[in-house]
Amino acid sequence: MRLAVRNAMASAVAFLFPLAVLAADPNLCAACHGEGGNSVNPAVPSIAQQPRQFIATSLFMFREGTRKDAQMSPMAANLSNAEMNQLADYFSKQKAAAPKHQSSAESAAAGPALAKKFNCSQCHGPQLLGQQHIPRLAGQQFEYLRLQLKSFKAQTRGDIDGNMSAAAQALNEKDIETLADFLAGQSVP
Amino acid sequence: MKSTIAFAVMAAFAAAVQAQAQAPAAPPSWQQGKPPAAADSTLHPFNIEMTGKSAKELPVDKLKLPAGFKVEVWAEGMPGARTMALGDKGTLFVGTRQLKEVYAVRTVGGKREAKVLLKGLDAPNGVVFNKGTLYIAERHRITSYANIEAQLDNPPQAKVVVDGLDPDKQPGHFWKFLAMGPDGKLYYNVGAPGNIVMPGYFQATISRVDPKTGVVETVASGVRNSVGMDFHPQTKQLWFTNHARDWLSDDLPNDTLHRVSRKGMHFGYPFCHQGDTLDPEFGKSRSCKEFDQPALKLGAHIAPIGMRFYTGKMFPAEYQNNIFIAMRGSWNRTVKQGYNVMRVALDDKGKVTKYEPFMTGFLVDDRADPPMWGRPNDVLVMRDGSLLVSDDQNGIIYRISYSK
Repeated sequence: MRLAVRNAMASAVAFLFPLAVLAADPNLCAACHGEGGNSVNPAVPSIAQQPRQFIATSLFMFREGTRKDAQMSPMAANLSNAEMNQLADYFSKQKAAAPKHQSSAESAAAGPALAKKFNCSQCHGPQLLGQQHIPRLAGQQFEYLRLQLKSFKAQTRGDIDGNMSAAAQALNEKDIETLADFLAGQSVP
Repeated sequence: MKSTIAFAVMAAFAAAVQAQAQAPAAPPSWQQGKPPAAADSTLHPFNIEMTGKSAKELPVDKLKLPAGFKVEVWAEGMPGARTMALGDKGTLFVGTRQLKEVYAVRTVGGKREAKVLLKGLDAPNGVVFNKGTLYIAERHRITSYANIEAQLDNPPQAKVVVDGLDPDKQPGHFWKFLAMGPDGKLYYNVGAPGNIVMPGYFQATISRVDPKTGVVETVASGVRNSVGMDFHPQTKQLWFTNHARDWLSDDLPNDTLHRVSRKGMHFGYPFCHQGDTLDPEFGKSRSCKEFDQPALKLGAHIAPIGMRFYTGKMFPAEYQNNIFIAMRGSWNRTVKQGYNVMRVALDDKGKVTKYEPFMTGFLVDDRADPPMWGRPNDVLVMRDGSLLVSDDQNGIIYRISYSK
């Protein structure tokens, strides 16, 4: 499976990633996360321009089993720390594409106040671009955001310090819909 | 009848587990005690690099020491490296807090080789080596690994010294430091289960356990959380560092250094901080006079972790029996401080005569988020008299040496 993906993608995208010397191949990630880490699948997160430490920490959690996903867990299982760091460095330096998602007028209007009310901006930053081990939310894929918030609320999503599991307790179904819809349509400077 | 009871017990247990799973998640421990006025505060703890960082990516040349001292990278590739212990045959054992691993570092042909010695442990922060045996303090227990240096590639099963140290899975300060006392007993902390809360009867203490019998005693109380301790080379008295509460202010209360001069001392938590400052909630009807005083106020939110007396021959004579303290640095302070190794000199009576920076340069911008590129966590005197410093932010160990 891994090899098949590699073969299928290799010739097509080799010239897009001139860093062919990397031990961990970003082409493998791009097969699902999109060219340069900009996902075109609403259920798959964009990893372009995510904070370096966040990407490395996520890969670590998938490898160690503190975060679980049918696709990601096996992908991360054999990566070394050095490979994770290389991938994190690479994707953190890719430019985030303009979001395809269009927020509804209601979500766009209610979003900023909601993000403040539920303390999103306290850690994710005033423009929700993430920092250190905390991810960028602005322009992230809609379905992915919605599922993460639901999973944090249900306490089934791996959480490095318990912060998000606690923060998500205050959200109701509608808040989650509104926040995900608002965030997914935010463009990244 | 028996099976009915067993079934009932199992059903009750299953229900309890389910009830637990459905309870709303509590805020993380670091937010406990945050006053409503600080609701919009963007202060947050920094997370370590879980995958480590290579020294060549870091401004190691920015580290500064007094004249005659130099620092070099001694070993790297040990994410989360914290407490250090030296084996008789020269193996360095390194514990972790957020990872589940204990590392062993060997010097082969002048080069350091770091490997994961033990994995799957629960916050194995405490490591100490004594008479061929490695002792490890995890969240809930202390274990021993006899004759470990002969079995580094195939370590033996853990032998339990004492278990049940965390019966309630306390949310905060569950990681433990471990030291071997001159009395042959293992000294360790049991931290307060939150920022500012009433501790349980064996929490917020320094305790000790006799490895021969497994019998535990309380050594000192009212200690919010100590993750560094050592015994004075001459008096053999226990000294330890302590972290004070958060969310009170930038400058109060101070983290502290303590000396244990008799059994049964109480250093004030949660009623009185730094020996002279009543807690606004728990101290209302108390007085600081009933508690024992710290030996030194170290600074607020400076985060003292590992501390050791300098007993080597390499550094100038004035450093003999000084204390080096690794300051991991503040998060709960608008202007950050710490992120260095401090030096404390004592007179013959154990009174502090000097408190000054020894190694600085990890702190880049005291108002930035993050403010630093590395965080000192523990110090260890090597047999040649050089001093190792662990940095858990990056998983690196540095070596400080001196020559005229």
